[in-house]
Amino acid sequence: MPMVKMKCDESIPERDKHIYQTEADKSIIPSCNIATLPGDMTERGCAFAGARGVIGGPISDIIAMVHAPVGCAWYTWGTRRHLSDLYPWALPGRLANAAFNRRYCVVTDMQEKDVVFGGMKKLEKSCLEAIRLFPEAKGLIIFTTCTTGLIGDDVQAVARQIEQKTGLLTFTAESPGCSGVSQSKGHHDFNTQFYRQVHALRERRPELKMRGEEKTPYDVCLIGDYNMDWDLKVVKPLFEKIGVRIVAVFSGNERIENLVKMPDVRLNVVHCQRSAEYIAEMEQDGYAIPFIRCSLYGIHQTSKALRETAAFFGLQERAEQVIAEELARVEKSLAFYREKLQGKRVAIYVGGPRVWHWIKLMEELGMTVVAGACTFAHADDYAKINARAQAGMLVIDAPNEFEIEEMLLETKPDLFLTGLKEKYLGRKMGIPTVNSHSYEKGPYAGFAGMINFARDLYQGIYAPVWRFQWGINTVRGEENAVE
Amino acid sequence: MTRKIAIYGKGGIGKSTTTQNTAAALSHFYGQKVMIHGCDPKADATRLILGGKMQVTVLDTLREHGESAVTLDRVCQTGFGGIRCVESGGPEPGVGCAGRGVITAINLMEELGGYTPELDMIFFDVLGDVVCGGFAMPVREGKAQEIYIVASGEMMALYAANNISRGMVKYAEQSGVRMGGIICNSRNVDGERELLEEFCARLGTRLLMFIPRDNIVQKAEFNRQTVTEFDPASTQAGAYKELAKRLMETTADELAIPQPMSMDELENLVVKYGLLD
Repeated sequence: MPMVKMKCDESIPERDKHIYQTEADKSIIPSCNIATLPGDMTERGCAFAGARGVIGGPISDIIAMVHAPVGCAWYTWGTRRHLSDLYPWALPGRLANAAFNRRYCVVTDMQEKDVVFGGMKKLEKSCLEAIRLFPEAKGLIIFTTCTTGLIGDDVQAVARQIEQKTGLLTFTAESPGCSGVSQSKGHHDFNTQFYRQVHALRERRPELKMRGEEKTPYDVCLIGDYNMDWDLKVVKPLFEKIGVRIVAVFSGNERIENLVKMPDVRLNVVHCQRSAEYIAEMEQDGYAIPFIRCSLYGIHQTSKALRETAAFFGLQERAEQVIAEELARVEKSLAFYREKLQGKRVAIYVGGPRVWHWIKLMEELGMTVVAGACTFAHADDYAKINARAQAGMLVIDAPNEFEIEEMLLETKPDLFLTGLKEKYLGRKMGIPTVNSHSYEKGPYAGFAGMINFARDLYQGIYAPVWRFQWGINTVRGEENAVE
Repeated sequence: MTRKIAIYGKGGIGKSTTTQNTAAALSHFYGQKVMIHGCDPKADATRLILGGKMQVTVLDTLREHGESAVTLDRVCQTGFGGIRCVESGGPEPGVGCAGRGVITAINLMEELGGYTPELDMIFFDVLGDVVCGGFAMPVREGKAQEIYIVASGEMMALYAANNISRGMVKYAEQSGVRMGGIICNSRNVDGERELLEEFCARLGTRLLMFIPRDNIVQKAEFNRQTVTEFDPASTQAGAYKELAKRLMETTADELAIPQPMSMDELENLVVKYGLLD
């Protein structure tokens, strides 16, 4: 296996197995989803962060109660924009979009004495207090962390008491940070536990199921879309135009009552196949709901997603019509950006699957992905990268900062798609960056999102500021030369 | 210098009874200045010294009044023979983290300077098995340097003693803690003394004392007293007096790192003595 040996990994040879270059005729799977080695300054998050931040957090009308010392809550407080359209206008004294699920952060603030004596009473008190503070909440999810997981607080018992006392839909997500090697374990935990709890809730309170007359033959659930910078604003109408009804999105800007109706749909469409395919598989096993995998990034992949969804319901004609309309809308802008971006080389660093989601999108803009890195990807994510990438792309599993630096030095991309922490590294090297996690000015998904994405890539590369990267004197010199 | 001693052993074996009776003998017969720090959430390690009074525990004070309210005046009490008593306390069974409680209570006592240098001996009376890191707190570096295990000729008591020894091997390297011996709190099992003697030899330690079974212990407990206070002239008080003497006379070369047995060895040993009749 032609694994890549990076200079910075001289003292950690075990890292070699995580780094490879794609080949044309075979799919190389690196070591992945395994424990971090001592000495490797990983950028991974924890299982709790995966459950709380990625999947539980975007549900718009629940209180995400973090049963933990205060630090766990701070570090997982939503740093994304307030992506909720929950407007509690009907409530006195409230005129604005509360979006309390992201704007506020609730935590039991476990302290020494609570750890020693158990935190269940404090948790119950905190839940009731939060429910009083946010009367618009329709539900509550209790998240445990390392501390409360270790002392074994029975949070399920507290959840039942809260449900009995308040009638709110109450769930638990027990995914202590230490329970897995990365945030990926938290995604899995949340999927499994939420599925089981929804199942039990529907048995206990059948009135929460979708009534027969409410159902349509075209009901789908969009799984694994977290409404990054309002992606759903452009994605949902596409599906609606082809004639399907999105009953629930797991879990971007979704209401908890809709999520309880997930088992009532005909088809699941899975976008993020790393963090949420688990629940689609369980729905398939438990409720015989089939699922299709898709990507909603780029013209080709979005069209394919719509075609495949439409084919399931026999709506192909409408799908073709919608795709043609959308293409006509974006064609002109796309041509402009394609010309500007032609031949540019990019590096992509994301959490998991967006490397493979974006390879074809970049190609549609005439660009090449020369390097990719994923924090918590599994073997199937790398197989998907290999299926889409050109030969010779550098791929790093769970990179550390030194590897990112070397990756940029070696591959010399024109643009680096990355998160907030690493963007400074790129910029100091004179490599423009675009936020790959929560976007610059999204949405980036779907047809309209593709134009936004292309615009941000274009603005990143062509920003006039890069003229100054070698110092102001070099720019003056240039001007003099022109004069 | 104060000798810090940790007492371990299977739950219900008589750790607290033995510790309190030994402490009482040390004080009464030999004028030793002794302190007992109970590290069991049940907080029942000092009641015989204090005449049955339930003590205000460190952790209850912390919980109800906050850390600044934990003062020596509040949590330290003096009982029979001038013996100083502290109870860590802890959560009700099934909730919270008793191990963390032990750590917190000992840290607080150290910060408060509760383990004063004029003391001759401090006993940490620790809950049953060493179930998690918290219950090993008393033998961490700078804390107890000697461990004594209370056992009997019953199989489960020996399993527990062997298991505790396994944990102590690790701590022996880390903190320099040593095993001072096994105290047999007799259950009148056949061949008990012989079994214990061989067990100790195999473990690389000594049988510090064989305390015969005597109802006077229960009678004294019923009166919320140690045997020494209840009837200092009794034979049983004499046994505790002898134990106290041996404890005082323990020299550094009698302290050893235990060599725990494998499960097979231990089972064979128990079978050997169990089949006597």
